[in-house]
Amino acid sequence: MTEKNELPVIRPAAGDACQSESRSGLFQHAIDSFVEFCRSRSMFILHYCTGCGAIELPPAMTSRFDMERLGISPMVTPRQADILLITGYVSIKTLKRIILTYEQMQGPKYVIGICSCTVNGGMYWQSYATAKQLNEYLPVDMYIAGCMPRPEAVLEGLMQLRDKIESGAATSWEDYFKRYDHYLGKQQHLFGKDWHTPTDVIEEARHYNLLGEGTLGENTAVLEKYLRHHQELDLTRVALEPAKTNLPDR
Amino acid sequence: MKESKAIWLDNVLHEIESIHIDSKSERRIRVDISPDALPALLELLKGRAGYLHLSSISCVDWPDDDEFELVYHIWSYETNILISAHTRVSRNPGFYISVYDIHTPAGFFERDIYEMFGLFFEGSPNMEKFILTEWNGPPPMLKSFDTEKFVHETFDWKDYNPDWLQEIVAKGGGIVE
Repeated sequence: MTEKNELPVIRPAAGDACQSESRSGLFQHAIDSFVEFCRSRSMFILHYCTGCGAIELPPAMTSRFDMERLGISPMVTPRQADILLITGYVSIKTLKRIILTYEQMQGPKYVIGICSCTVNGGMYWQSYATAKQLNEYLPVDMYIAGCMPRPEAVLEGLMQLRDKIESGAATSWEDYFKRYDHYLGKQQHLFGKDWHTPTDVIEEARHYNLLGEGTLGENTAVLEKYLRHHQELDLTRVALEPAKTNLPDR
Repeated sequence: MKESKAIWLDNVLHEIESIHIDSKSERRIRVDISPDALPALLELLKGRAGYLHLSSISCVDWPDDDEFELVYHIWSYETNILISAHTRVSRNPGFYISVYDIHTPAGFFERDIYEMFGLFFEGSPNMEKFILTEWNGPPPMLKSFDTEKFVHETFDWKDYNPDWLQEIVAKGGGIVE
Protein backbone atom coordinates (compact mmCIF):
# COMPACT_ATOMS: atom_id res chain seq x y z
CA MET A 1 0.00 0.00 0.00
CA THR A 2 1.18 3.47 -0.83
CA GLU A 3 1.46 5.91 2.04
CA LYS A 4 -1.43 8.31 2.21
CA ASN A 5 0.79 11.39 2.30
CA GLU A 6 2.46 10.62 -1.00
CA LEU A 7 -0.58 11.62 -2.99
CA PRO A 8 -1.66 15.25 -3.19
CA VAL A 9 -4.65 16.31 -1.15
CA ILE A 10 -7.08 18.82 -2.60
CA ARG A 11 -7.34 21.86 -0.39
CA PRO A 12 -9.74 24.79 -0.71
CA ALA A 13 -8.21 27.77 -2.50
CA ALA A 14 -7.49 30.87 -0.48
CA GLY A 15 -10.28 33.43 -0.59
CA ASP A 16 -10.24 36.67 -2.58
CA ALA A 17 -10.17 38.64 0.62
CA CYS A 18 -6.82 37.10 1.58
CA GLN A 19 -5.28 38.15 -1.70
CA SER A 20 -6.50 41.73 -1.61
CA GLU A 21 -4.69 42.31 1.66
CA SER A 22 -1.34 41.74 0.04
CA ARG A 23 -2.16 44.12 -2.83
CA SER A 24 -0.61 47.51 -2.67
CA GLY A 25 0.49 50.34 -4.89
CA LEU A 26 -1.16 52.49 -7.48
CA PHE A 27 -1.28 49.73 -10.07
CA GLN A 28 -3.20 47.42 -7.78
CA HIS A 29 -5.56 50.23 -6.84
CA ALA A 30 -6.23 50.83 -10.52
CA ILE A 31 -7.00 47.16 -11.02
CA ASP A 32 -9.32 47.10 -8.00
CA SER A 33 -11.29 50.12 -9.14
CA PHE A 34 -11.51 48.64 -12.62
CA VAL A 35 -12.91 45.45 -11.10
CA GLU A 36 -15.44 47.46 -9.10
CA PHE A 37 -16.39 49.36 -12.26
CA CYS A 38 -16.93 46.13 -14.21
CA ARG A 39 -18.83 44.57 -11.33
CA SER A 40 -21.22 47.51 -11.13
CA ARG A 41 -21.87 47.35 -14.89
CA SER A 42 -22.90 43.71 -15.08
CA MET A 43 -25.43 43.00 -12.41
CA PHE A 44 -27.46 39.86 -12.59
CA ILE A 45 -30.70 39.87 -10.70
CA LEU A 46 -32.36 36.92 -9.07
CA HIS A 47 -35.89 38.17 -8.62
CA TYR A 48 -37.87 36.58 -5.85
CA CYS A 49 -41.32 37.51 -7.03
CA THR A 50 -43.87 36.39 -4.48
CA GLY A 51 -45.25 39.87 -3.96
CA CYS A 52 -47.38 42.06 -6.20
CA GLY A 53 -44.42 44.40 -6.90
CA ALA A 54 -43.21 41.79 -9.37
CA ILE A 55 -45.64 43.19 -11.89
CA GLU A 56 -43.48 46.32 -12.22
CA LEU A 57 -40.46 44.27 -13.27
CA PRO A 58 -41.51 43.16 -16.79
CA PRO A 59 -41.81 46.77 -18.03
CA ALA A 60 -38.55 47.63 -16.26
CA MET A 61 -36.81 44.73 -18.00
CA THR A 62 -38.34 44.90 -21.45
CA SER A 63 -38.33 47.49 -24.20
CA ARG A 64 -40.16 50.32 -22.43
CA PHE A 65 -37.58 51.00 -19.72
CA ASP A 66 -34.97 48.46 -20.80
CA MET A 67 -32.90 47.55 -17.77
CA GLU A 68 -30.36 45.77 -19.91
CA ARG A 69 -28.93 49.00 -21.35
CA LEU A 70 -27.56 49.54 -17.83
CA GLY A 71 -26.07 46.06 -17.76
CA ILE A 72 -28.75 44.66 -15.48
CA SER A 73 -30.43 41.48 -16.52
CA PRO A 74 -32.32 38.61 -14.93
CA MET A 75 -30.59 35.42 -13.89
CA VAL A 76 -32.02 32.00 -13.28
CA THR A 77 -29.96 30.57 -10.43
CA PRO A 78 -28.81 32.00 -7.09
CA ARG A 79 -25.24 30.80 -7.66
CA GLN A 80 -24.80 33.04 -10.67
CA ALA A 81 -26.72 36.06 -9.42
CA ASP A 82 -25.36 39.24 -7.82
CA ILE A 83 -28.56 40.84 -6.63
CA LEU A 84 -31.46 39.27 -4.80
CA LEU A 85 -34.51 41.33 -5.61
CA ILE A 86 -37.38 40.73 -3.21
CA THR A 87 -40.59 42.20 -4.52
CA GLY A 88 -42.83 42.79 -1.57
CA TYR A 89 -44.84 40.62 0.80
CA VAL A 90 -42.60 38.14 2.59
CA SER A 91 -44.47 35.52 4.56
CA ILE A 92 -42.70 33.56 7.25
CA LYS A 93 -42.72 30.49 5.04
CA THR A 94 -41.31 32.50 2.14
CA LEU A 95 -38.64 34.05 4.34
CA LYS A 96 -37.17 30.63 5.03
CA ARG A 97 -36.76 30.07 1.30
CA ILE A 98 -35.31 33.54 0.83
CA ILE A 99 -32.66 32.88 3.45
CA LEU A 100 -31.82 29.54 1.84
CA THR A 101 -31.51 31.28 -1.52
CA TYR A 102 -29.45 34.14 -0.12
CA GLU A 103 -26.97 31.82 1.54
CA GLN A 104 -26.46 29.97 -1.73
CA MET A 105 -25.44 33.14 -3.54
CA GLN A 106 -21.76 33.88 -3.87
CA GLY A 107 -20.25 37.02 -2.45
CA PRO A 108 -20.26 39.88 -3.17
CA LYS A 109 -24.04 39.81 -3.12
CA TYR A 110 -26.62 42.52 -2.70
CA VAL A 111 -30.23 42.51 -1.53
CA ILE A 112 -32.88 44.96 -2.66
CA GLY A 113 -36.27 45.09 -0.99
CA ILE A 114 -38.98 46.50 -3.21
CA CYS A 115 -42.37 47.76 -1.95
CA SER A 116 -43.57 48.83 1.46
CA CYS A 117 -44.14 45.26 2.58
CA THR A 118 -40.43 44.53 2.88
CA VAL A 119 -39.91 47.73 4.87
CA ASN A 120 -42.56 47.40 7.55
CA GLY A 121 -45.10 44.81 6.48
CA GLY A 122 -47.00 47.32 4.33
CA MET A 123 -50.70 46.62 4.12
CA TYR A 124 -50.06 43.29 5.84
CA TRP A 125 -48.79 44.96 9.01
CA GLN A 126 -51.50 43.20 11.02
CA SER A 127 -51.00 39.78 9.48
CA TYR A 128 -49.75 36.91 11.63
CA ALA A 129 -48.08 35.26 8.64
CA THR A 130 -46.03 38.16 7.25
CA ALA A 131 -42.49 39.01 8.27
CA LYS A 132 -42.24 42.74 8.81
CA GLN A 133 -38.70 44.07 8.44
CA LEU A 134 -36.58 42.24 5.93
CA ASN A 135 -33.30 43.71 7.20
CA GLU A 136 -33.74 41.98 10.54
CA TYR A 137 -33.14 38.64 8.87
CA LEU A 138 -30.86 39.57 5.97
CA PRO A 139 -28.56 42.52 5.30
CA VAL A 140 -30.49 44.72 2.86
CA ASP A 141 -28.53 47.13 0.67
CA MET A 142 -31.44 49.16 -0.51
CA TYR A 143 -35.15 49.57 -0.05
CA ILE A 144 -37.30 50.92 -2.83
CA ALA A 145 -40.44 52.06 -1.07
CA GLY A 146 -43.83 52.42 -2.68
CA CYS A 147 -46.94 50.39 -3.13
CA MET A 148 -45.88 49.54 -5.75
CA PRO A 149 -42.88 51.60 -6.95
CA ARG A 150 -42.97 52.52 -10.63
CA PRO A 151 -40.34 51.05 -12.99
CA GLU A 152 -38.59 54.46 -12.94
CA ALA A 153 -38.15 54.08 -9.19
CA VAL A 154 -36.88 50.53 -9.60
CA LEU A 155 -34.31 51.71 -12.16
CA GLU A 156 -33.37 54.70 -9.99
CA GLY A 157 -32.75 52.34 -7.08
CA LEU A 158 -30.67 50.00 -9.20
CA MET A 159 -28.59 52.91 -10.48
CA GLN A 160 -27.99 54.07 -6.92
CA LEU A 161 -26.84 50.56 -6.07
CA ARG A 162 -24.58 50.65 -9.13
CA ASP A 163 -22.92 53.82 -7.84
CA LYS A 164 -22.66 52.31 -4.39
CA ILE A 165 -20.90 49.23 -5.76
CA GLU A 166 -18.59 51.34 -7.90
CA SER A 167 -17.51 53.43 -4.93
CA GLY A 168 -17.00 50.27 -2.89
CA ALA A 169 -19.62 51.25 -0.30
CA ALA A 170 -21.96 48.30 -0.88
CA THR A 171 -20.48 45.99 1.72
CA SER A 172 -23.55 44.93 3.64
CA TRP A 173 -23.10 41.32 2.49
CA GLU A 174 -20.01 41.24 4.71
CA ASP A 175 -22.25 42.24 7.59
CA TYR A 176 -24.07 38.90 7.35
CA PHE A 177 -20.81 37.10 8.07
CA LYS A 178 -19.56 39.59 10.64
CA ARG A 179 -22.80 39.66 12.65
CA TYR A 180 -24.16 36.21 11.82
CA ASP A 181 -25.12 35.58 15.44
CA HIS A 182 -27.49 38.57 15.39
CA TYR A 183 -29.17 37.55 12.14
CA LEU A 184 -29.43 33.91 13.21
CA GLY A 185 -30.98 34.99 16.50
CA LYS A 186 -33.70 36.91 14.66
CA GLN A 187 -34.31 33.95 12.36
CA GLN A 188 -34.54 31.56 15.30
CA HIS A 189 -36.98 33.90 17.03
CA LEU A 190 -39.34 33.42 14.09
CA PHE A 191 -38.66 29.85 13.00
CA GLY A 192 -37.83 28.18 16.29
CA LYS A 193 -34.57 27.10 17.88
CA ASP A 194 -34.11 24.12 15.59
CA TRP A 195 -33.76 26.34 12.52
CA HIS A 196 -30.61 25.67 10.50
CA THR A 197 -29.57 25.82 6.85
CA PRO A 198 -27.38 23.48 4.83
CA THR A 199 -24.87 26.30 4.25
CA ASP A 200 -22.07 26.47 6.80
CA VAL A 201 -21.99 30.25 7.11
CA ILE A 202 -19.35 30.28 9.84
CA GLU A 203 -16.94 28.25 7.73
CA GLU A 204 -17.61 30.57 4.79
CA ALA A 205 -16.91 33.59 6.98
CA ARG A 206 -13.59 32.04 7.91
CA HIS A 207 -12.89 31.40 4.23
CA TYR A 208 -13.63 35.01 3.24
CA ASN A 209 -11.61 36.31 6.21
CA LEU A 210 -14.76 37.95 7.52
CA LEU A 211 -14.94 36.37 10.94
CA GLY A 212 -16.02 39.25 13.17
CA GLU A 213 -16.80 39.65 16.81
CA GLY A 214 -20.47 38.99 16.22
CA THR A 215 -20.07 35.93 14.01
CA LEU A 216 -20.11 33.46 16.85
CA GLY A 217 -22.33 33.70 19.88
CA GLU A 218 -25.02 32.01 21.89
CA ASN A 219 -27.32 31.60 18.88
CA THR A 220 -24.70 30.00 16.67
CA ALA A 221 -23.81 27.62 19.52
CA VAL A 222 -27.16 25.91 18.84
CA LEU A 223 -25.94 25.09 15.33
CA GLU A 224 -23.16 22.85 16.64
CA LYS A 225 -25.34 19.76 16.70
CA TYR A 226 -26.35 20.19 13.06
CA LEU A 227 -22.86 20.98 11.85
CA ARG A 228 -21.15 18.65 9.41
CA HIS A 229 -17.57 19.78 8.98
CA HIS A 230 -15.97 19.84 5.57
CA GLN A 231 -13.87 16.78 5.04
CA GLU A 232 -10.88 16.64 2.80
CA LEU A 233 -11.23 14.29 -0.10
CA ASP A 234 -9.06 11.28 0.57
CA LEU A 235 -7.53 10.55 -2.82
CA THR A 236 -5.73 7.39 -1.70
CA ARG A 237 -8.99 5.61 -1.20
CA VAL A 238 -10.45 6.90 -4.41
CA ALA A 239 -7.41 5.86 -6.42
CA LEU A 240 -6.55 2.51 -4.92
CA GLU A 241 -9.70 0.94 -3.59
CA PRO A 242 -12.35 -0.32 -5.95
CA ALA A 243 -15.67 1.47 -5.69
CA LYS A 244 -17.97 -0.15 -3.17
CA THR A 245 -21.42 -0.93 -4.33
CA ASN A 246 -24.47 -2.16 -2.56
CA LEU A 247 -25.17 -4.72 -5.23
CA PRO A 248 -24.91 -8.36 -4.11
CA ASP A 249 -22.05 -10.47 -5.52
CA ARG A 250 -22.98 -12.76 -8.35
CA MET B 1 -89.51 27.41 -18.30
CA LYS B 2 -87.57 29.19 -15.57
CA GLU B 3 -90.60 29.23 -13.29
CA SER B 4 -91.27 25.56 -13.74
CA LYS B 5 -87.72 24.73 -12.76
CA ALA B 6 -88.01 26.84 -9.64
CA ILE B 7 -91.22 25.09 -8.67
CA TRP B 8 -89.65 21.72 -9.31
CA LEU B 9 -86.67 22.62 -7.15
CA ASP B 10 -88.98 23.89 -4.45
CA ASN B 11 -90.76 20.54 -4.39
CA VAL B 12 -87.46 18.71 -4.07
CA LEU B 13 -86.36 20.92 -1.19
CA HIS B 14 -89.62 20.42 0.66
CA GLU B 15 -89.09 16.70 0.77
CA ILE B 16 -86.74 17.30 3.70
CA GLU B 17 -88.23 18.19 7.03
CA SER B 18 -87.07 20.95 9.35
CA ILE B 19 -85.72 23.09 6.55
CA HIS B 20 -86.01 26.83 6.15
CA ILE B 21 -85.94 28.13 2.60
CA ASP B 22 -85.33 31.76 1.78
CA SER B 23 -85.33 32.78 -1.86
CA LYS B 24 -82.86 35.68 -2.00
CA SER B 25 -83.30 36.34 -5.69
CA GLU B 26 -84.30 34.57 -8.87
CA ARG B 27 -81.11 32.56 -9.02
CA ARG B 28 -80.12 32.37 -5.40
CA ILE B 29 -81.65 30.37 -2.57
CA ARG B 30 -80.61 30.32 1.04
CA VAL B 31 -81.37 27.14 2.93
CA ASP B 32 -81.04 26.77 6.69
CA ILE B 33 -80.85 23.19 7.81
CA SER B 34 -79.84 21.16 10.86
CA PRO B 35 -76.40 19.54 10.74
CA ASP B 36 -77.92 16.02 10.81
CA ALA B 37 -79.90 16.59 7.63
CA LEU B 38 -77.27 18.45 5.58
CA PRO B 39 -75.56 15.44 3.94
CA ALA B 40 -79.02 14.12 2.99
CA LEU B 41 -79.87 17.47 1.40
CA LEU B 42 -76.67 17.49 -0.68
CA GLU B 43 -77.30 13.90 -1.74
CA LEU B 44 -80.88 14.64 -2.70
CA LEU B 45 -80.01 17.75 -4.67
CA LYS B 46 -77.20 15.96 -6.45
CA GLY B 47 -79.41 13.08 -7.47
CA ARG B 48 -82.62 14.92 -8.29
CA ALA B 49 -81.68 18.43 -9.41
CA GLY B 50 -78.21 18.11 -10.90
CA TYR B 51 -76.33 19.87 -8.09
CA LEU B 52 -72.96 18.40 -9.03
CA HIS B 53 -70.75 21.39 -8.34
CA LEU B 54 -69.69 22.21 -4.79
CA SER B 55 -68.15 25.67 -5.26
CA SER B 56 -66.89 26.07 -1.74
CA ILE B 57 -67.51 25.48 1.91
CA SER B 58 -67.14 28.59 4.00
CA CYS B 59 -66.94 28.76 7.75
CA VAL B 60 -67.94 31.53 10.14
CA ASP B 61 -66.92 31.64 13.77
CA TRP B 62 -69.67 32.74 16.18
CA PRO B 63 -67.93 32.87 19.57
CA ASP B 64 -70.97 34.27 21.44
CA ASP B 65 -73.15 31.35 20.37
CA ASP B 66 -70.22 28.94 20.70
CA GLU B 67 -70.94 27.71 17.19
CA PHE B 68 -69.39 27.43 13.76
CA GLU B 69 -71.57 28.28 10.80
CA LEU B 70 -70.82 26.22 7.71
CA VAL B 71 -72.07 27.36 4.32
CA TYR B 72 -72.09 24.90 1.44
CA HIS B 73 -72.36 26.67 -1.91
CA ILE B 74 -73.67 24.31 -4.53
CA TRP B 75 -74.46 24.95 -8.16
CA SER B 76 -76.52 23.12 -10.73
CA TYR B 77 -75.95 23.47 -14.47
CA GLU B 78 -79.55 22.40 -15.06
CA THR B 79 -81.47 24.81 -12.87
CA ASN B 80 -78.79 27.54 -12.88
CA ILE B 81 -79.68 28.42 -9.32
CA LEU B 82 -77.10 28.76 -6.55
CA ILE B 83 -78.05 27.16 -3.27
CA SER B 84 -76.26 28.20 -0.10
CA ALA B 85 -76.92 25.63 2.57
CA HIS B 86 -76.27 27.07 6.04
CA THR B 87 -75.83 24.90 9.06
CA ARG B 88 -74.55 25.50 12.58
CA VAL B 89 -72.22 23.13 14.40
CA SER B 90 -71.19 23.33 18.03
CA ARG B 91 -67.64 24.59 18.64
CA ASN B 92 -67.12 22.04 21.39
CA PRO B 93 -65.95 19.40 20.72
CA GLY B 94 -65.73 20.72 17.17
CA PHE B 95 -66.49 17.65 15.09
CA TYR B 96 -68.59 17.35 11.98
CA ILE B 97 -69.09 14.78 9.26
CA SER B 98 -67.31 15.00 5.92
CA VAL B 99 -69.24 15.19 2.67
CA TYR B 100 -66.27 13.87 0.70
CA ASP B 101 -68.27 10.83 -0.42
CA ILE B 102 -70.88 13.11 -2.04
CA HIS B 103 -68.64 15.87 -3.42
CA THR B 104 -64.95 14.99 -3.83
CA PRO B 105 -63.68 18.61 -3.80
CA ALA B 106 -64.98 18.90 -0.25
CA GLY B 107 -61.76 17.20 0.87
CA PHE B 108 -59.75 20.36 0.19
CA PHE B 109 -62.26 22.74 1.75
CA GLU B 110 -62.55 20.62 4.87
CA ARG B 111 -58.80 20.39 5.25
CA ASP B 112 -58.58 24.17 4.92
CA ILE B 113 -61.32 24.75 7.48
CA TYR B 114 -59.68 22.36 9.94
CA GLU B 115 -56.44 24.30 9.56
CA MET B 116 -57.97 27.76 9.85
CA PHE B 117 -60.74 27.11 12.41
CA GLY B 118 -59.90 23.79 14.05
CA LEU B 119 -63.19 22.14 13.09
CA PHE B 120 -62.44 18.47 12.44
CA PHE B 121 -64.30 16.58 9.69
CA GLU B 122 -64.71 12.88 10.31
CA GLY B 123 -64.29 10.76 7.21
CA SER B 124 -62.32 13.31 5.24
CA PRO B 125 -59.40 11.61 3.46
CA ASN B 126 -56.64 13.94 4.62
CA MET B 127 -56.68 16.26 7.60
CA GLU B 128 -52.96 17.07 7.51
CA LYS B 129 -51.71 20.65 7.47
CA PHE B 130 -52.37 22.30 4.15
CA ILE B 131 -51.02 25.84 3.74
CA LEU B 132 -49.80 26.72 7.22
CA THR B 133 -47.33 23.84 7.35
CA GLU B 134 -45.00 25.80 9.59
CA TRP B 135 -47.55 27.30 11.94
CA ASN B 136 -47.71 25.99 15.49
CA GLY B 137 -50.09 28.50 17.02
CA PRO B 138 -53.86 28.32 17.43
CA PRO B 139 -56.11 28.24 14.33
CA PRO B 140 -55.59 31.81 13.09
CA MET B 141 -59.08 32.51 11.77
CA LEU B 142 -60.75 32.06 15.15
CA LYS B 143 -62.10 35.31 16.53
CA SER B 144 -60.43 34.49 19.85
CA PHE B 145 -57.00 34.70 18.17
CA ASP B 146 -55.80 38.29 18.46
CA THR B 147 -53.69 38.86 15.35
CA GLU B 148 -52.63 42.36 16.27
CA LYS B 149 -51.43 41.27 19.70
CA PHE B 150 -49.50 38.39 18.15
CA VAL B 151 -47.86 40.75 15.64
CA HIS B 152 -46.80 43.20 18.34
CA GLU B 153 -45.35 40.38 20.43
CA THR B 154 -43.48 38.78 17.53
CA PHE B 155 -42.23 41.60 15.32
CA ASP B 156 -40.47 44.93 15.68
CA TRP B 157 -41.24 48.07 13.71
CA LYS B 158 -39.07 50.44 11.80
CA ASP B 159 -39.64 54.13 12.48
CA TYR B 160 -39.65 56.33 9.43
CA ASN B 161 -40.38 60.01 9.85
CA PRO B 162 -38.12 62.10 7.61
CA ASP B 163 -38.14 65.90 7.46
CA TRP B 164 -39.95 66.09 4.14
CA LEU B 165 -42.78 64.00 5.56
CA GLN B 166 -43.00 66.15 8.68
CA GLU B 167 -43.21 69.25 6.49
CA ILE B 168 -46.10 67.79 4.55
CA VAL B 169 -47.87 66.80 7.75
CA ALA B 170 -47.31 70.31 9.15
CA LYS B 171 -48.97 71.75 6.05
CA GLY B 172 -51.97 69.57 6.68
CA GLY B 173 -51.01 66.62 4.48
CA GLY B 174 -52.27 65.98 1.00
CA ILE B 175 -50.75 65.36 -2.37
CA VAL B 176 -47.16 66.42 -3.01
CA GLU B 177 -47.05 69.06 -5.73
